Amino acid sequence: MTDPKPARRAEALRLHRKLLPIWSSDQRFRGWLTTNNNNDIGGLFLIVATIFFVIGGILAMLIRAQLASPGSAFMGPEAYNQVFTMHGTVMMFLFAIPFFEAMAVLLLPGMLGTRDLAYPRLGAYGLWVYIFGGSAVIIAMLLGLSPDGGWFMYPPLSSSAFSPGIGPDVWLLGITSIEVSAIAAAVEVVVTVLRYRAAGMSLARMPIFAWYILVVAVMILTAFPPMILGSLLLEVERAFGWPFFQTENGGDALLWQHLFWLFGHPEVYIIFLPAAGMIATILPVMARTRLLGYAWVVAAVVALALLSFGLWVHHMFTTGIPHMGLAFFSAASTLVAVPTAVMIFSWIGTLWQGKPRLELPMLWILGFFATFVIGGLTGVMLAIVPFNWQVHDTHFVVAHLHYVLIGGYVFPMIAAVYYFLPLLTGHSRFFKLGEIAFWITVPAFHLTFLAMHWAGILGQRRRTWTYDAGSGWEWINLTASIGAFAMAIGFALVIGDVVVNTLVARKARRNPWGAGTLEWATMLPSPVYGLASIPVIAGRYPLDDDPQLALRIARGEGFLADTSRNRRETLIVSTTGGEPAQVAVLPGNSVLPFILAVVTSTSFLAPLVGAYLLSGAALIGVVVVALIWAWGLGSKADEGPVDAGRGVTLPLSTEVPDPPGWWGSLMLLLADSVHFGSLLFGYAFLWTVAPNWPPPSYLAPGAVDAVLAGAGAVALLAGPRWAARSILKGAGPWPGLVLAVLGAVALAGAATGIILARPDPAGHAYDATLWLLAGHVGLHVAITAIMLGYLTARVLAGYTSPRRIGDARIVQLWADFTALTGLVALAAAWLPGVFG
Amino acid sequence: MTDIARLSVPLTLWLISFSGLYGLHGLVCSGHWTRLAGSGAEVAGQTALIAGFLAALLVQAVAVAVLWTQRFGGPPGFVRTTSLALALVALVATLWTLGPSVALPACAWPSATVAG
Ligand code: HEM
Ligand SMILES: [Cu+2]
Repeated sequence: MTDPKPARRAEALRLHRKLLPIWSSDQRFRGWLTTNNNNDIGGLFLIVATIFFVIGGILAMLIRAQLASPGSAFMGPEAYNQVFTMHGTVMMFLFAIPFFEAMAVLLLPGMLGTRDLAYPRLGAYGLWVYIFGGSAVIIAMLLGLSPDGGWFMYPPLSSSAFSPGIGPDVWLLGITSIEVSAIAAAVEVVVTVLRYRAAGMSLARMPIFAWYILVVAVMILTAFPPMILGSLLLEVERAFGWPFFQTENGGDALLWQHLFWLFGHPEVYIIFLPAAGMIATILPVMARTRLLGYAWVVAAVVALALLSFGLWVHHMFTTGIPHMGLAFFSAASTLVAVPTAVMIFSWIGTLWQGKPRLELPMLWILGFFATFVIGGLTGVMLAIVPFNWQVHDTHFVVAHLHYVLIGGYVFPMIAAVYYFLPLLTGHSRFFKLGEIAFWITVPAFHLTFLAMHWAGILGQRRRTWTYDAGSGWEWINLTASIGAFAMAIGFALVIGDVVVNTLVARKARRNPWGAGTLEWATMLPSPVYGLASIPVIAGRYPLDDDPQLALRIARGEGFLADTSRNRRETLIVSTTGGEPAQVAVLPGNSVLPFILAVVTSTSFLAPLVGAYLLSGAALIGVVVVALIWAWGLGSKADEGPVDAGRGVTLPLSTEVPDPPGWWGSLMLLLADSVHFGSLLFGYAFLWTVAPNWPPPSYLAPGAVDAVLAGAGAVALLAGPRWAARSILKGAGPWPGLVLAVLGAVALAGAATGIILARPDPAGHAYDATLWLLAGHVGLHVAITAIMLGYLTARVLAGYTSPRRIGDARIVQLWADFTALTGLVALAAAWLPGVFG
Repeated sequence: MTDIARLSVPLTLWLISFSGLYGLHGLVCSGHWTRLAGSGAEVAGQTALIAGFLAALLVQAVAVAVLWTQRFGGPPGFVRTTSLALALVALVATLWTLGPSVALPACAWPSATVAG
């Protein structure tokens, strides 16, 4: 008898060899631009985010160099203002958010037991938009054109009257383009977690990080839109004089603060939660046990996310708010401590019940505990109103926020990098530089920022370029600066250690930490295709339940081990139970995401140099490239259900009523709804509290307008439905499509009526808002019209059939949104005119 | 998706009522309200806020009750337990965060900020 073991190993190798060519990126140089594999995209993301961390760090060193001594001549106020603004902006937008996105892109497919993220090309697009937007912001800084109004850009300081240069525009346009990239990543994460998992992975069996990142992604979709709206308003005000924030003309500067903090407070948790998710993942493995209270932690994450949207006004306590309003937001602010405490207790309990080992990731997690707890305590101090008044806008606040950001985010992320190093690089650590780096960084951190608390209490204000000798702050600042430089050396050692261990170190064996979750089921480093077959799992820790699982997966005993269809396939499961539902066909390498990112970034950044025409042309380019992109997906013939392995036949994801594109659209429209809701909020806010309201006159609708709006919305709701139903029946969709187009034209007509009736948007904030509402309708009508044209072409070219109904259903979704929000927008525009 | 809704709806309702009541509070303390309600504006405002608070409580209580039923709460297990816990959290959150509408006068400003 022959030994079965080598035979099985040969089988795994054969499968590996078949999967590689299907999933590999182009090995030539152009492969860098065309790859959309999550390993490549995530890796690039991680490297770029780290570069921005280094840039932000260098700026921090410039700050500390300037403050090291009183009356320093190193920088003048103009330079200092740019440096701290850019430091905050780079760290928050170009480092913190992209860095955890990178980790999610790299790790999520493995954790969930799928082969890649739901929209590989969207991931690539997000990466390039981020790189272009981030680089533009940095280049502007090198040219001395950066913003200097602090990272939250309050008007009127950032309005054209007080910041006539292009600094704020760099911020508004550059950061908004990066937010577009974050939204792309968020859509991808939500759909992946909800639909792309191993067979049998019900919601209750998801790895805890998947819950954290799912919640964070939904938070991005709902928190970024207010900020994007705020940036749009401020940019339009600066460029065309629409007076949203100018009190004289019916605006209100406080509107910016509301929109910014509607984003800004959830943002704090958007940054903290992924780090917490990493801790919840790593800590149990380091303690050789399981996470205590899984369900409690999930509940805490969901609660924290939703509660965090009800706190924004606590950043505006000094803006003149009645007692009751203060009380609402103080109460809500105290409440969020509860879910945070639940998490912390879960971690402590996990440590308690386990047998912790002091590996390097664990060391950094201990660093997190020590630091984050202090940051939490100074946070409580800041929540006490009289103390807050005392230290508001001093270095005490700076110290507090770095305790939470560095202690609560950077330290856990370093733990995560070390923990996942074997998975990402195939190497286990050999050079023990990491421990030295830890013992330099953490004490130096505390030296720097502990000292800063005293400077703050003694009255040293933040964002102030210098201080006088004899103020009593000299020694404190010198200490902080020495600590900061030591910390910089520590961080440099960490980066150096990771790089060295990535390039040269000994090969890691499979699952080196003995973890129970699926990302460790692959060979190391994780290959491009991820899992050789999609496993069936029955618990939260499948590798613990079945020690042979990794080998079974490699031998192709799971789903989709058959490579004969010669394309990238992965499994789609039902959201709740994780039952296999569809076979997803993922797109291959393509340069389209890169090109789309080029035109998108051009349309965002061209206005910076006044090239509005170029920006418009690039916008048309965006539409064209997006259409080419969409056109390339789908097929002209029905394939029918396919063999998914293990004796199961499943429909293809292109031949179901809810293809991945439909889910993605749904998530995008969620973000769009929040954007629209913020617009209505802004309007209501101005109407209620802006000093120079009411405007000289309100707009009243004519009968024609009302009829156009009502009939248009109805036609736009009915037409696409009718068309989709016809396709389903195998009939021609033309009557439905014609009706839809007529509806779009009617809605556009009603919106145009508003513009014609109020020709001067720069006159009063009311008129500017009317233009914005009409613009919302116009933009969405345009999108729907383009989609209707696209659908027509698809039908003519034979891309639709009763099975391949997805395109029509996606168009229907967008048309519904356009009709409903269009109606609301027009009603909102006319309401004050009707009633008074 | 039903399970995702079970988990997220109760606290989303809290967010809606919280923002809604804050909005109402803004309206009550604005010139529009006095124009609308005339001389009884103050009493009317306070009443409206308290009514809003009670309505929000009612909504949350209904959410708990609905999720308690077998039909809407789903079979015993992770999602049922977690969503019920979150519905209770939402009820407590409503009580705690909107409670001030009963305890405080609607439109009194802290003296320090009136001057500024
Ligand atoms: C590498 C070590 C770091 C040092 C030595 C440092 C130092 C400083 C200092 C001294 C300021 C205050 C400047 C002033 O108000 O005059 C500041 C501001 C700030 N830092 Fe850091 N920082 C570091 C890392 C980070 C990280 C990792 C983040 C975020 C993830 C961050 C986010 C911010 C923000 C948001 C501000 C406020 C900027 C503003 O006032 O507009 N910092 N930092
Ligand atoms: Cu906050």
